[in-house]
Amino acid sequence: MKGSSPLVRPGAPGRAGGPDTTRQAGHRATGTGSRRAARSERLAPYVLVAPAVLIILGLRLYPLILGVNFSFTGDGDRNGMVVGLDNYLELADDPLFRTALGNVGLLVLLLPVAVAIPGLLATFIYLRVPGHRVFRSVYFFPAVLSPVIVGSIFNLMLAFDGPLNTVLGTIGIGPVDWLGDPGVTMFTVVGVHVWATFGMALVVFLAGFSTLDSSLLDAAQMDGASLARTIWHVVIPSLSRTIAFVLVTTMIGMLTSMFGLLYVMTSGGPEGSTYLPEYYIWIQQGQMNRPALASAASTVLFLIMLVVGLAQVGLLRRAGRQD
Amino acid sequence: MRGRRLSGWVAAVPMAALALATVYPLVFTANVAMKTRREYVLDRFAPLNSPHWENIGTAWSDAGMARYFANSLLVVTVSVALLLLLGSMAGFALSRLRFRGSRMIFLGCLAALFVPFQVIMVPLARVMADTGLIDTYPGLILAYVAQWLPFTVFLMTSHYTTIPMEIVDAARIDGNTVYGVYRRVMIPLGTPALLSVGILDTLFCWNDVLIALLTMNSADHRTLMVGVTSLRGQYSDDIPTFASGVLIAAVPVLMIYLFLQRQIADGVTAGSTKG
Repeated sequence: MKGSSPLVRPGAPGRAGGPDTTRQAGHRATGTGSRRAARSERLAPYVLVAPAVLIILGLRLYPLILGVNFSFTGDGDRNGMVVGLDNYLELADDPLFRTALGNVGLLVLLLPVAVAIPGLLATFIYLRVPGHRVFRSVYFFPAVLSPVIVGSIFNLMLAFDGPLNTVLGTIGIGPVDWLGDPGVTMFTVVGVHVWATFGMALVVFLAGFSTLDSSLLDAAQMDGASLARTIWHVVIPSLSRTIAFVLVTTMIGMLTSMFGLLYVMTSGGPEGSTYLPEYYIWIQQGQMNRPALASAASTVLFLIMLVVGLAQVGLLRRAGRQD
Repeated sequence: MRGRRLSGWVAAVPMAALALATVYPLVFTANVAMKTRREYVLDRFAPLNSPHWENIGTAWSDAGMARYFANSLLVVTVSVALLLLLGSMAGFALSRLRFRGSRMIFLGCLAALFVPFQVIMVPLARVMADTGLIDTYPGLILAYVAQWLPFTVFLMTSHYTTIPMEIVDAARIDGNTVYGVYRRVMIPLGTPALLSVGILDTLFCWNDVLIALLTMNSADHRTLMVGVTSLRGQYSDDIPTFASGVLIAAVPVLMIYLFLQRQIADGVTAGSTKG
C-alpha cells in the first residue's frame, strides 16, 4: 500500500497567484483576469478528481451501503418492508448457499497448491532451466483469455469422449466424468481456473525474484545445499512479501473471478455441487428475482472478502517485518 | 556444475509437458474450428489436410458474432478511453497537487478497490434501472468505468509519484496552468503507465461476462463474451461452428498477448513490487 499518498511540496498550486502573476502580467491584462486565473488554479485539483470521485462514490460505494440496506428488507410481496434478519436466516437454511460456503472452504484448502505451482515454476525459471524464456512466455498465455473462452475450450477438452479422457485412456485411466460427477466437478473447475491464472502469479513471483539477492543463492549452492533446502531456507524467507501478495490476490481471484467458468461449464451443477457465493448471488438476482436475498448473500461475501483483506494486511505487515 | 545442468533437464521435461498442456487446448479448438461437421464426428483429433474457413464465416454472420464483436469494440474502446482520461487526471491531482481532502479521496479509491463487483451488483442493477441506464451502451460503459476506475487511479497515482516534482515546478515556472502541466507534462511522461494500464483495462472489459450479462438484456446489445455463451445452446450439435465463434472472440486478446506481453507483465507486477 502507498502509505503516504500525495507526495507534494507544500503549497505547490497555492503559489499560482504569486510570482506567476507578475511573470504573466503581459498575458493577463487586468487584475480581475489574474484573480480569476488564480481561482481557477486553486480549483483545478478538484476539477481533476471530480469525475473519478463522483463515479466511484455513486456507482461503487453508494451501492455497497444500499445493498446492506436491501439485505434487511423483503422480496416479492414484502418488497421494501423491513424484515430484520429473515434473509440471513433463509440463507443459513438454503442447502445451495451452504454448498457455496463449503466450496469457499475447499478453495481455502486448495489455495496453497494454487500458489505453490507458480512459485515452484518461477523458481525453476529463475534458475534458468533449459528453455526458461520459452516457458515464461508460454505459461503466461492463458492469463489473457476470458473465463468464457477458457470454459468453452475446456467444455470440449473435458467432454466424456473428449481429448483428456482419450489421453488418460491410453495409459489405462478413466474415463472420468469431469463435468458430470458431483464429487469431481468442483475440483475440475478449480483446476481449470488454476490453468488459466497461474501465469499471472508466475509473473508476480518472477518480479519478486528479480529483487532477490543472488549471492545468497550462490552461497547456498557453494555449500552444496539441495534444491529443496535452498527453496525452504533461502527463497521462501526472502520472498515472504511476494508470497503474501500472491496468496491474497489468488484467494480474491478464486472468490470473484470464477463466475465465467461456472456459468459456461457447470451452471452450478451437477446437483448444485459447484455453487460459489458469486454464482448464488447471480442466480437469486437474475433468475429467481430475489434481490433482497441476493443482497444478503452479497453482504456475506463482502464479510468473507473483508476477512481476506484483513488477513492480507496482517500477512503483509508480518512479511514486511521479516525483510 | 554438471550436476546442476542435469537437474535442470530433470525439471525442464515436466515443464515442457506443462507448456504443451498450456497451448494444446487452444490448438485443439482451432483445429476443430477448421473441420467440417462430418470430419469432426469421424475424428476430432486428426490434424486437417485442408482447412475449412467457412465455419468462421458461419459464426461471424449467421451466429451474429459480427454484431457482438462490433458491440464489444465500441463499449471497450470508449470505456478504456474514459478510464485512462479520468484515471490520469485524478492520479495527477492525487500525486502531484496539494489540496484539502486528497488523502481522504485516495483512501476512498483504495477502499473501492477492495469491493468486488459481486458485492454491489444487485443494488447497482437497481440504481441503473432507476436512472434508465439498464440495457444501454452508456450504462454498460459507465459500469465498466466504475468497476476499473479505482485500479486505474491507484496505478496512475503510483506512477506519477515517480515523476520528480522539479519537472512539475519547472513547467509551472514556464507559465503553464495546472491543466497545461497535465497536458504537456503528465500525459507525455505518463505514456508507459497509460499503455500498460490501458492494456489491462482493455483485457478486463473485453473479457468480462458478468457485468454485461447483468446490464444488457436485449439480444442485439450482447457483447462478444455473452454472445459466446449463447452460441453453445444455439450450435450444440455443430461443434466446429461453436469452436469458430470461440476462436473469433479469442483472436483480439491473442494479438494483445503476442505483441504487448511485456506491458501486461509490467502492469500486473506494478501492484506487487511498489505496494
